[in-house]
Amino acid sequence: MTWESALFWLSGAMALAGAMLAVGLRNIFHNILGFALALVGVAGLFLTLGSDFLAVVLILVYVGALAIAMVYAVMLSYPLDTRPRPRSTRKVLGAAALAALVAAALFAVVLGAHFARAAGPRETSAAWVGRRLLGDYVLAFELISVLLVVAMIGAVMVARKARMPRQAPTPTPKLIG
Amino acid sequence: MMPLSGYLTVSVALFCIGLYGLVQRRSLIAMLIALELMLAAASLNVVAITTLSGGGGWRQIGLGHASSVGQVVALILIGVAAAEAAIALSLFVAIQRYASTINVEDLSELKG
Repeated sequence: MTWESALFWLSGAMALAGAMLAVGLRNIFHNILGFALALVGVAGLFLTLGSDFLAVVLILVYVGALAIAMVYAVMLSYPLDTRPRPRSTRKVLGAAALAALVAAALFAVVLGAHFARAAGPRETSAAWVGRRLLGDYVLAFELISVLLVVAMIGAVMVARKARMPRQAPTPTPKLIG
Repeated sequence: MMPLSGYLTVSVALFCIGLYGLVQRRSLIAMLIALELMLAAASLNVVAITTLSGGGGWRQIGLGHASSVGQVVALILIGVAAAEAAIALSLFVAIQRYASTINVEDLSELKG
């Protein structure tokens, strides 16, 4: 077994186990930890494909920034002292049936499809990605930076404390003896 | 190099786990986590297919090998996912402040 297939199996198992933890557990903090584990697994899969730059970006953005932002959102908005309500079995079974149906359809498509072998040398190194990003796809690159700036400003504006309804100013007690 | 079908299998499984979580969970943050899993599955799909398959047609029209193009698509997907998650999380905080809950079953003001 080469190191590549070993890394593939390890990362795939990590991604799927993390995803199951991320949706299956009841505690929201455990969900976020499972999410981080799943994304590390996906980054490992990118490594086996030779996309090392993409793997690093994935870990930086998802595990480094997104999971932390989720923890902050939980801290600001989650009532941890309330017990989670029991789920209705009918809804859980319905969700599982829907997911199984979609999985069966996608597996049928994926395993029945025929893909041509890759032709020519691969261009997976970070140098090639940089050449693409500043060459043919520079417009998308610039647009994504504009989108990120707009999203950050919008997030600050939305989450800022809304202005309280105006009320009569309460008289401050005078401390003059 | 592993076969393409291995990557596609992992991607389909990840996507459907995310779909299950999105439909079944009731907390907005848990639903966002499931949605991000589905997006990650989609970008894994793009990178795997462009790296292990195709490329001939791209070269004929002068675009080189498809694998670097697939990575560019995945990078843009990651950027869009980050922007979307930032907006969503700030909306959750605002909703929590307004309605004191982020459980979707309690947020039924618009229900007819």
